[in-house]
Amino acid sequence: MSDASTSIPPHAVERLKGLRGQGHPGGIFTSDFSVNEFLLVRKAGFEPIGLCVGTCVYHVGIQYGSWGQNQELTKLSQAMYHARELAMARMREEARDMGADGIVGVRLTVKRLEWDANILEFMAIGTGIVHAAGHPGFKGAEGQPFTSDLSGQDFWTLLQAGYRPLALVMGSCVYHVAHQGLLQSLGQIGRNTEMTNFSQALYDAREIAMERMQHEATEAGAEGVVGMELHEGSHNWKPHVIEFFAVGTAVKPIAAELAPDTIPDPQLVLSVNS
Amino acid sequence: MSAFGSNPNTPDAQAATRAREWQAALEADRLPGFVTTRLKNAAAGRTPWLSTMTPAELLLSRSHGIRPIATVSGTCWYHFGWSWTEGHAEGWHKALGRLKDEAIAAGANAVLDVKLRTTRLHGTGSSMDYTVVGTAVAIEGLPPSPDPVIATVPAIEFVRLLEAGIVTTGLAIGARYGWLTSGWSTLGWFGRSADLPELTNFWEGIRRQALQDLRRDAAPQGNGVLAHTHFSQIFKVEQNNQTPQILGRHIVLGTVVQTSADRTVPHTITPVVDMRDQLSPLRETAPRSHTAYGAQADEEGPI
Repeated sequence: MSDASTSIPPHAVERLKGLRGQGHPGGIFTSDFSVNEFLLVRKAGFEPIGLCVGTCVYHVGIQYGSWGQNQELTKLSQAMYHARELAMARMREEARDMGADGIVGVRLTVKRLEWDANILEFMAIGTGIVHAAGHPGFKGAEGQPFTSDLSGQDFWTLLQAGYRPLALVMGSCVYHVAHQGLLQSLGQIGRNTEMTNFSQALYDAREIAMERMQHEATEAGAEGVVGMELHEGSHNWKPHVIEFFAVGTAVKPIAAELAPDTIPDPQLVLSVNS
Repeated sequence: MSAFGSNPNTPDAQAATRAREWQAALEADRLPGFVTTRLKNAAAGRTPWLSTMTPAELLLSRSHGIRPIATVSGTCWYHFGWSWTEGHAEGWHKALGRLKDEAIAAGANAVLDVKLRTTRLHGTGSSMDYTVVGTAVAIEGLPPSPDPVIATVPAIEFVRLLEAGIVTTGLAIGARYGWLTSGWSTLGWFGRSADLPELTNFWEGIRRQALQDLRRDAAPQGNGVLAHTHFSQIFKVEQNNQTPQILGRHIVLGTVVQTSADRTVPHTITPVVDMRDQLSPLRETAPRSHTAYGAQADEEGPI
């Protein structure tokens, strides 16, 4: 360990002396990183440049499912997908304008507006980052900034694993689950039994959402998708209508893939201050 | 990348075909053709793999020769005609069976990070959904397994256990209920402190039976169970003018492990002092994401 005063970089010492830096031609950066995230993104060789936001207020149309039929409500699926895609595209545009290589920590939110149940507000927000040494190889598909919902910590770990993020990929499926007919209900009285029509509906909706997400990943030229999550939600629709939403980060091996045996094993630690 | 138009869309005719395939598959206890195709394509590397792993898990998996293939799942919507409690055991078993079918189709050796989930739809009465979702993985140098292991732990823990010679092999369930109809009256005990032996024995008996079921369910899968989830309820049920009855039920779920007695844990463990004042990942309790029995499962229902 060297003496603290010599291990502090000169520009930091200047600032500590009370001198304001003349650097940062692009002004100050903004980000919603935590301290640890900020440190790890820098450790990965990147600098945050600014918060990127995209919003889309969307009027979601109305579509009814037939009472007794399992079916996808394609209009709603498309609306939910389209609105998110618009919000994402706007966020990506902001990132491109500020010259970012990509956006990490993307959060997608959906909010219903108070005065109209059919108006949903979609928002995508994340921090635009740029490779500190100007390495050109981190852009996403078609030279666009990459997008990813991984935190700064996860971003660092992903690079360590020999992968880089390409795009936040998603798939949506709004599905109407059939109501059960009276005869069928009568047949089940007093029996413990599976309700296959319901099983089928959930299965099918999930499958469609995943297929669509996988399709997006293929389009982006990904090798795989990490941190995939499946959400089920009902945005104030009729009781038997649910949305399955699959989302994850499509990734690709870094040009020269890291040999698996060079990856360091994490150490086990035990906190002793209980 | 707004590729929705070219996505596998489902126009009516196609949706109808899909529905028919689902129905036939569920009735015959097999997978629909298009699911098998998706999994086979992922296994062959023709489509991107899908994984619920975090980057940290991906890193550890890679260094240990574990390759993600696809997200696999199983759903069973179950109607409780006569027993809510035993329906739970059957519902989870069916869903797990379907998850395993998908894992076999994907040529997997294991399914990691298997999460238990339930969805509730309004107005579906005495029925509920049992869903399990996980990531099917292949292990380098091993042929596809005819009986992939199911791990209800994330990849990070799976690998750590493997290093110590412990394989998580599956999920075991024990579920029992019972009625106590007489002999438990608290009349005459007013103002006194005493234990209620009938009630105690009744309640303990149900727990014992549930644990016995758990052991029986686990036996073909491995030689130990880490029973992490216990769910129990006891109600007083009053009907018309009859003597009130007591309903007790107990559900226990556990991760089955296969261990060999002579292996020790190879890791050295570094004691650290965590200097954070408040929340710390070292001291925080992990979220209970692999069980469906949280606070919300605390509902009343028939037996």
